[in-house]
Amino acid sequence: MSMTAVEKVLAKKSGKNTVRAGDVIFPDPDYIMIHDGVVMNAKRELDSLGIHRLAAPDKVMMVSDHDVIYGSARAAERGAFNRLAAKQWGVAQFYDVGRGGHGHIFPMESGLLLPGMFYFDNDRHATNAGAIGAFGFRMGAEISRVLATGTNWVQVPKSVKLTLKGRLKPGVYARDVGFHLAMLIQKKKFDVDLDYRVLEYAGDLDQFSLAARAALCSSPTEIQAYGVFVPPSEAILAYARQHAQRPFTPVYADADAHYEGEFSLDVSRLEPQIALPGGVQNAVNLSDAAGIAVNHAFVGSCGSGMWDDLVQVATVLKGRRVANSVRLFIAPGSEASTHRLLREGLMQVFIEAGAIMLPAGCGPCNDAVIGPLHSGEVSISTATNNPAGRFGARDAKLYLGSPATVAASAVTGKITDPREFMVLETAL
Amino acid sequence: MTDVEWILKGCCYKLGHDVPHAGGVVPNRIIVGRHFDPADIIPHLFEETDAGFHTRCQPGDIIVAGRNFGMGPKMNGYIAMQALGLGLVCESMPFLGYRAAVGCGLKVMNDCTNVLDICDTGDQLEVDFRNGFFINHTRDIRREYPPIPDGLLEVVALGGNTGWLKKWWSDQNSSGNAL
Repeated sequence: MSMTAVEKVLAKKSGKNTVRAGDVIFPDPDYIMIHDGVVMNAKRELDSLGIHRLAAPDKVMMVSDHDVIYGSARAAERGAFNRLAAKQWGVAQFYDVGRGGHGHIFPMESGLLLPGMFYFDNDRHATNAGAIGAFGFRMGAEISRVLATGTNWVQVPKSVKLTLKGRLKPGVYARDVGFHLAMLIQKKKFDVDLDYRVLEYAGDLDQFSLAARAALCSSPTEIQAYGVFVPPSEAILAYARQHAQRPFTPVYADADAHYEGEFSLDVSRLEPQIALPGGVQNAVNLSDAAGIAVNHAFVGSCGSGMWDDLVQVATVLKGRRVANSVRLFIAPGSEASTHRLLREGLMQVFIEAGAIMLPAGCGPCNDAVIGPLHSGEVSISTATNNPAGRFGARDAKLYLGSPATVAASAVTGKITDPREFMVLETAL
Repeated sequence: MTDVEWILKGCCYKLGHDVPHAGGVVPNRIIVGRHFDPADIIPHLFEETDAGFHTRCQPGDIIVAGRNFGMGPKMNGYIAMQALGLGLVCESMPFLGYRAAVGCGLKVMNDCTNVLDICDTGDQLEVDFRNGFFINHTRDIRREYPPIPDGLLEVVALGGNTGWLKKWWSDQNSSGNAL
């Protein structure tokens, strides 16, 4: 029986020849990820049941990325609790603050999470795994059962297929595609409901780097996709082979796989996008939002925290200054990227531009535990989403754009098309 | 598996499409107040649309809803339904809502297409959640719908995730697997 990519991953990991949408299975994961914000609840739940040992501590990745700089006594208490939990549980891969980075980025960058793999995660942004051709499954609070027993039930999700056609114009990026796609789905331009679906990309994908693929995973997640899968290109496979810390086998859909729906999108004429406050689906052409003054800017998150995203920002900031009216925060996705920024001189570009460097992790994207907004302020960022209150004050206005758009807007102090800087560079 | 009665017999309580968890199932204050004790939630089940529902319903009664029931991942209302001995049949619900309902040990059947067309509040229903039979005795109608999948029966039978984990750990200890 033919299968989609994610069906193949799930079949392989549950020891079956085939699975199909709707089947209930108990996959054996390559990893079990839990982040710093939920360790305390899981530990207390298992302790209350008398369960003090984990089924597979060697598979557990405990990642401190949501609250890296403790800004409160409560955060410090949680950090201490997590360290003790990691020790008591015997967690093999404990990435404490300053040791790994963002859990949905550094495992892919560093060759831990590889094509064809499957893992459980408490967090719904596990969808990022699709960037490397893997599948991460969000467990929420039920991660405790996975920790205790090694698995949990998974109902195989339906898949829908989106074929991207054409090449993006210079200055237009994968995040722009995601915002635009979310808008199209919200406005019913595509007859598809992503609730508990896997969005599998196809088409002209060779143009998308690993960072761009993570960006492609981001916005569908915010409109309820449970998984996103981008079939690995030769370049992605080469990257994975170069960095792999263990063997892997990439997975691709069968040519005649069944999808609940199939649709296509021509991206060749797409313009830079801005998601207006309220959600990624509120996307408009940047020209419709250009000129809006901003006070706060942020680059990072699951959707835009990889190395190439940082390069996009540095390209705009090089030799320029962030506007006096703007505070720009940059949170690399990995400690490795922070080190590379230093080695390759980009850190100097950021600092000289007046950006505020944050440690690798989620940055303000986690409920603004750092870098929040005051009432009435305006932000432009690459956060995963922008509902009211995500960055603090509920009446703060939150706009989203690509890393290049955020950088350009930080320089001018108002929402700005990054191509204005590219034209300038060409002229020079 | 624990001895469980998978067939519920009782009155139909019919709802429409797109019933939100906040307001439609339980008041929002129950959700944001993080109330998870059934005793705290039961008096408020359907409070804003049908105050006193909990005093009139009987164990075995079936809540029948349309598309997009619950409209999200919240679970408070399912805790109350399970504690009251009710069942839930709906045309569709967001997956995280379904997962939450199963995790509470609620007998629930999802993807029951057009089920609203074959019943009304007060009809005498018989629903076999293990085999997927839906019988309306009042109207003499019988349908087959997707039952609770085999892999989930144990969680539901044990009253949800916590009950399942307790049983699992007890079994581990009995078999000497617990360290």
